[in-house]
Amino acid sequence: MQIAPQLCLVLLAGGLRLAGQAGDEPPVAGGRLAQWNSLREKKAQQVEAPERKGLEKALYEVRERHLMERLMAGWQGFHLGYGGLHVGSGLALGPDWRQERLAGGLVDMRASLRGSLRKYEKLEFQIGMPRLRNEHVFLDFNVAYRNYPQERFFGLGPQSRPEDRTNFRLEDTTYLGTMGIKWKRVFRVGVKGGIIATNTGPGTDTRYASTEKVFTPRNTPALDFQPDHYQVGTFAQMDWRDEPGNPRSGGNYVVEGNLFGDRNRSLYTFRRYEVEAQQYVPFFNRRRVIAFRAKTSLTDTSPGQSVPFYMMPTLGGSEDLRGFRDYRFRDKNLMVYNLEYRWEVFSGLDMALFGDAGKVFTSRSDFSLDHLEGAYGIGFRFNQAKSVLLRVDIGRSREGMRFFFKFGHVF
Amino acid sequence: MCFKRGIVLWLLVAALAPGQKFLPDDPVGRDQDDRNIPAPKRYKLSDYYDFIQNSFGNPGDRKPRTAMNINTLGEVPESAWYTNRHARKRMTIEELVRGPDRGTGPAPGTWKVLRGKNEGITPGFSMVEDSRGDRYAIKFDPPGNLEMATSADVIGTKFFYAMGYYVPENYIVYFRADQLELGEDAVISDTPGRQRKMDHRDIHELLNRVAKTADGRYRAVASKILAGQDVGPFRYYGTRPDDPNDIFPHEHRRELRGLWAPCAWLNHDDSRAVNTLDMLVNENGKQFVRHHLIDFGSILGSGSVSEQKPRAGYEYLWEPGIAFTRILTLGFYDRHWIHIRYPVYPSIGRIEGDYFRPENWKPEYPNPALLNSLPEDAYWGAKIVVSFTDEEIRKIVETGQLSDKRAEEYLVQCLIKRRDKVARYWLNQINAVDRLEVQGDRLRFEDLAVQYGVAKPPAAYTAEWLRYDNANDRKTPMKVTQEVTGSSFEIPAEVLTARPGQYYTAQIRRKDGGAKIPKAVHVYVRREAGGIKIVGIEREE
Repeated sequence: MQIAPQLCLVLLAGGLRLAGQAGDEPPVAGGRLAQWNSLREKKAQQVEAPERKGLEKALYEVRERHLMERLMAGWQGFHLGYGGLHVGSGLALGPDWRQERLAGGLVDMRASLRGSLRKYEKLEFQIGMPRLRNEHVFLDFNVAYRNYPQERFFGLGPQSRPEDRTNFRLEDTTYLGTMGIKWKRVFRVGVKGGIIATNTGPGTDTRYASTEKVFTPRNTPALDFQPDHYQVGTFAQMDWRDEPGNPRSGGNYVVEGNLFGDRNRSLYTFRRYEVEAQQYVPFFNRRRVIAFRAKTSLTDTSPGQSVPFYMMPTLGGSEDLRGFRDYRFRDKNLMVYNLEYRWEVFSGLDMALFGDAGKVFTSRSDFSLDHLEGAYGIGFRFNQAKSVLLRVDIGRSREGMRFFFKFGHVF
Repeated sequence: MCFKRGIVLWLLVAALAPGQKFLPDDPVGRDQDDRNIPAPKRYKLSDYYDFIQNSFGNPGDRKPRTAMNINTLGEVPESAWYTNRHARKRMTIEELVRGPDRGTGPAPGTWKVLRGKNEGITPGFSMVEDSRGDRYAIKFDPPGNLEMATSADVIGTKFFYAMGYYVPENYIVYFRADQLELGEDAVISDTPGRQRKMDHRDIHELLNRVAKTADGRYRAVASKILAGQDVGPFRYYGTRPDDPNDIFPHEHRRELRGLWAPCAWLNHDDSRAVNTLDMLVNENGKQFVRHHLIDFGSILGSGSVSEQKPRAGYEYLWEPGIAFTRILTLGFYDRHWIHIRYPVYPSIGRIEGDYFRPENWKPEYPNPALLNSLPEDAYWGAKIVVSFTDEEIRKIVETGQLSDKRAEEYLVQCLIKRRDKVARYWLNQINAVDRLEVQGDRLRFEDLAVQYGVAKPPAAYTAEWLRYDNANDRKTPMKVTQEVTGSSFEIPAEVLTARPGQYYTAQIRRKDGGAKIPKAVHVYVRREAGGIKIVGIEREE
């Protein structure tokens, strides 16, 4: 049996001195209330303002003063940005500038500059009108300059070898406009058009040969001359994922077709058709998810035309065929399938077992499930409220094991 | 906060005190913790720290000890924390339905928006002012779950008010966009957490992010801004160092420890410090701190911004044991809650009564006060829960104004089922002989476990009478043992004719079947000039 400790308490010296305050009956002398009030008087002599110290103070400043948000939001629209370049660029930092709701709330503008440890550079400017017609119509114009001096190239086709790794400089400027409509927050359909001016050059990663030293224009189209392209295309998307940043149910289906026209010699005009399907099947109260993605990119050329090697789709790495190096395979066409079994460890961490299969191929007649490259592995996804903050995937393939540390989810 | 100091103060007092169980004013009916005090400083809690401290630390005093703020009957005196209501003094249906509301909500007509909130995942208006000048916070349902969070918020305030806690007045309101008028100095907190001047586009964008009714109106809960000055939330441990009235460590307050049963019943898994609020109020010429529970948008099946997570109520946000098990077994092992199937009621969210086990229920993080809950604390809370009849539950649920009547009925049946489970478990953990009173020469009682149908009536009840020496805490047998099958004992003649100031105790037990726990209830009576008065009740645990 437990007896309340206050049952064995007696009146403290001083308790008798207490008298009730305005509106209170005075406590009975020697009574319980007198005892409690004496404790209050004692405490009144030691009152001190609460104070945050150490971790509490630090977390308070971060959270309640929105330090992270303010850091990201920056000053007068300027803030520090990171990442956003190709894999292998090294740590990339630079200023971002963003202004929203200009011109009567209709216009958003954004500009960014990035430089990385391996001297990758990117300059981008975007002006968008995402809220036209009560957010049913969107308009966007984007200009980007990229200078990536160490892009990986292993040769074209599925038979390319890892030991043939080379690197080249990719420098391009893109002007791209997009216009479309949104319907019920699920459907998006639109058109796009723009101009792409590209140069390639010797790679600067001295660990590997420069691409033009190993490959020739005969087996690597447009290695010697890089035409400018115009681009016109259309796209449609149906996206009903529950949380695009970390989906557990729903699907995302995208179809896109683009014509890339050679503005200089009419040698490198091609059409590209891309289809991507993502489906998420939840079970056990959505704490388990089977996630599936199928993606293909098919390129069609007229006789006498070809596709510049640097505009071909790539396969391998953290985004599709884990277990292989990034951009390990490159060719005119691509197909890839990803299957993941994801389970929640706790709300801050999901894990996944995954299997990837895919291939690149030259001729569309090779569009089949034959000769797929495979990879499998395990992943850890560290979550924030509605998205994956950090992803660690460990993949294995015939070419060994690869570790990937990435921000954001895979699909 | 100075939780250690609070405990030290109490231990010091206990060490100095010679044993006298009952003092002249026992049992205390009202604590005087509304004494005039200097204004405390507003102390805003870090949400992150609160979570980390409670999930990974072990704050507060965890030694098992009886709640400190109870009176000698084991009840909670009226205070700035708590008012005995429905469980002690039956409220009418009208009173239950009215709850804390003292008006009818925001006045019709235009409402002036004074402060908006577009940051985070819950847009809303932090403050609007109606034509009467009353101020409210406006909170919405998440898209896809119209009526869910707003009904939960209103139903929650009614229940917790009837249970005895201080809560805000919450009203369900319907309005059109043109009913909102921008205040001259209106400000909004945007995504980086900065405040800036608000404009009409902000209102438009904010309303675009929330659910709408079929007729194009907005449904929201209007939570009246609490009277007084906001001085920050209270924690579930320690005391406020700048509030002299706050002397009982919160983890040892009965009304906080006893919250386990009500929170489990209503699935109030968000019973965290950030959902409390201390207000400095001025009443009767005194300035003191009143302690509130707020924000019930995340109770029942509502998770406020979405349906309750399936984990809610079954697992803390962070439990290392189960987390590592899930890692090692690749997720093929998990707890039973993962298999629970919920009926699809978007306006209800996720709540059920079949798998619910009140003793295993858990809030978002280990709440120090709830962790300190002893069977007597949980019993106290369970008594409050079982005080709601089926009809009362139904009427209170109706205040949520759920348009889907099947969903409403489902929720009512869930709460009835969960209430019965609360009763079955906690009324059987200790002797539930209760509601004791002296009527003439008889000591009457009710066995709550039997009354609520969660235990079979015992073959008999026995009472062993003893003399009690209050000054020396010593008991002497009177060699009077009674056995009854009814619900009262005859008070022995010696007790009835004793000199004023003399104490006696009756140890009441169940005999034979029915009770799982054959523990005694010790009833202390004092002979007073006007008759026999019950001054103490202790329950063996």
